Amino acid sequence: MNLLVQTLVAGLLLGGVYALIAVGLNLIFGVVKIINFAHGELVMIAMYATFWMWTAWSLSPYISIFIITPLMFGFGVLLQRFILQPMQNSSPTIKIFVTLGLSVLLQNLALVLFGGQYRSTTFPWAEQNFSVLGVTATYGRITAFLVAIALVIALFYLMKKTLTGKVLRALAEDRETAGLIGIPVKKYYLVAMGLGTAMAAIAGVLIGPFQSVFPLAGAHFTLLAFVVVVLGGLGNMAGSLIGGLFLGAVETLAGTYIDPALQQVAVFAVFIIVLLVRPQGIFGGSARNAEVGLK
Amino acid sequence: MKKKSLIWTLGLVAAAGLVPVFTSDQYILHVCVMILIYVGVTVAWNILAFGGILSLGHAAFFGIGSYTVAILYVKMDVNPWLGILAAMVTAALGSLLLAVPLLRLRGPFFALATLAFAESLRLIAIYAVPLTNGSVGITTPPTQGFALISFSSREPYYYIVLAMALIAIGISIWIYYSKMGYHLRASASDDEAVRALGVRTPRLKLAALVISAALTGAFGAFAAMYLFVIDPETNFSTPLYSIQPALNGIIGGMGTVAGPIVGAIVMTPLGEWLRTTFSGTTQGLNFVIYGVALIIIVRVMPGGIVSGMKKLYRRFRPENRSDGTAPDASGPIQPEQELANSEGGRS
Repeated sequence: MNLLVQTLVAGLLLGGVYALIAVGLNLIFGVVKIINFAHGELVMIAMYATFWMWTAWSLSPYISIFIITPLMFGFGVLLQRFILQPMQNSSPTIKIFVTLGLSVLLQNLALVLFGGQYRSTTFPWAEQNFSVLGVTATYGRITAFLVAIALVIALFYLMKKTLTGKVLRALAEDRETAGLIGIPVKKYYLVAMGLGTAMAAIAGVLIGPFQSVFPLAGAHFTLLAFVVVVLGGLGNMAGSLIGGLFLGAVETLAGTYIDPALQQVAVFAVFIIVLLVRPQGIFGGSARNAEVGLK
Repeated sequence: MKKKSLIWTLGLVAAAGLVPVFTSDQYILHVCVMILIYVGVTVAWNILAFGGILSLGHAAFFGIGSYTVAILYVKMDVNPWLGILAAMVTAALGSLLLAVPLLRLRGPFFALATLAFAESLRLIAIYAVPLTNGSVGITTPPTQGFALISFSSREPYYYIVLAMALIAIGISIWIYYSKMGYHLRASASDDEAVRALGVRTPRLKLAALVISAALTGAFGAFAAMYLFVIDPETNFSTPLYSIQPALNGIIGGMGTVAGPIVGAIVMTPLGEWLRTTFSGTTQGLNFVIYGVALIIIVRVMPGGIVSGMKKLYRRFRPENRSDGTAPDASGPIQPEQELANSEGGRS
C-alpha cells in the first residue's frame, strides 16, 4: 500500500512537469497552428544548458533558470521568425517536415557537440529527501512540481484575464478575422512561440536535477506532450494539466509494477485505449481540433 | 510517350542488373545493396503516402520482419525463404495494431502514433530476452548456400534484393494506377469529398497500411539475412528505418511513383559517404546535414526532387506543351497524374 501511494505521488510530481511541457505545446499548437515535432528538443536544449551551467560555472539550476528561460524565449521567437513564419501558409504536411527536420537537426547537433553519453546535473540540495506521512520525495521533484503547476496556473490566468491572452485566444479562434480587426498577427505568433518555448525550457531546467540528459532525451517529451494534448483537448489548458498528471502517474506506475524499460510502452498503450474508447479525448474536442488533424 | 518511358525503364533495370559485372568492389556492392533495401522500404512507405498518410514508424515493420526471419531460422530451424514470407505476414499483422490510430487520427497525430509504435516495439524487443536475446541481439549462423540466403560475396545478395525491389516497385506502380490508388490519391486531396462519393476510404487506407507493412517486413527480413546480426538498436532504429525512408520519400517526392526511388538512390550513398567521412568523434553530423537539407528542400521544392525536375523540364521545353499532351503522361490518366503530382504530398 505504501509502495502504491509512494509511486502515485512520484508520478503526480513528474506529471506536473509533463503538464507544463504539454501546455507549451498546446499554446503553440492552438495559436500558431504549427505541429511542433521539435518541442521535446526544446526541453532537451534547456536540460543541456542546465547541465553545462552547473558543471562549468557551478550555477545552481534554480539560478540558471532565470538565464535560460529568457534565452529560450528568444530562441523560440527566432525559430518562429526565421524558420516557421516563412511557411505559415504552406500545407500542414510541409510544416510537419520542417519541424521534423528541426528535430533531427537539434538531436544530432547535440550528439555532435556533446556526444551520446548520459549527463546528470548532480545538485545536492535537490537530492535530499522530504518526508510527510511516510511518503518521501526529493526536494528537486517537489520544487519542479510546484513551479510547474504555478506556471500552468499563471498561463491559465494570462490567457483568461489579460489583453495578451485575449488576443492569443482570438488568434486561436480565427486568424483572418483577428487580422482584420487590426491585431498584429505575426507579432503575437512570435509571443506565442516564445512563451511555448519558454515553458518547455523551464520544464527542462526543473527536471535537470533528477533526469539525465542525452541527445535523444527530447523525443520522449514530444510524444508525451502530444498524447497529453490529445487526451486533454486542443486549446484546453485544464485538460492538459490533468492529462499531464495522469500520464505521469501511468508512467511511474508502469515503471514500478511492470518494468522501468516499458514505461513508454505503457504511455502508448494508454494512448491507444483512449483513442478506442474516446477518440475525441477525455475532455472532449472542440471543432478546432479538425484544423490541426484531430478527428 | 509511353513506349519511350518503357524503354527508359528497361534500360535502367538492365543497367542496375549489370552493376556487379562492371565492379567487384565489395564496398560499392554493399552500398548498392543498401540503396536497394532503402528503395524497397521507401517505396513501401510511399504506398501509404499515396493516400496522403505520413508514417514515421516503418522501423516497426522493418524490425518485425528482421526478428521474424531470425527467430524462425535460429530458434526453430525454418528456412529463411519461408521466413521472409512469414515476416511479411507478421509485419502485416503488426500493422493492424495501428489500425485504430490510422482511422481516428489525421496527419501529424497519426505520424506521432507510428513513431511511438516503433519505439514501443524497440523497447519490447529489448525487454523480451527469451525470444529476442534482448540488447545482445540474434546472430544468424554462417552456413552458406542459396537455400539459406547466405553467401561469401555480395553479388548474390545484390541480385536477390534487386529482384525484391523491382517487385516492390511493380506493386507500387500497379497500386498507383489501380482504382484503389486512384481513390487513395483522391482522398489525399480531400478525404471527405471522396467519402461523400461513396468510396470507403478507411478500408482503402487500412489496405495500404497492410501492404506497406508487409513489403517493409520483407526488406527487414532480407536485411537480417544480409547483415547477420539483428538487434533492437539497429533493426528497430527510428533514425535508420523510420526517419530515413520518410526523408527519402519527402526529398524524392512523396506520393509519386518515381519520387521514393530517386530519393533512396540519392540519399543512401550520400548518407553512407557522410557516415564514413564523419565517423567517430563527429557521429551524427550526417543527420545534422539531413535536417538542414530537409528544411531547405521542402521550402525550395515542396513536391520533392521529382516534381522540381518536372517543373524545370517544362520551363525549358515549353514547345512540348503546345500540342496538348504532357511529355510524361499517358492518355486518359493524365489529369489524375497531374493532380497527384501537385497534390499528392498534401494531406
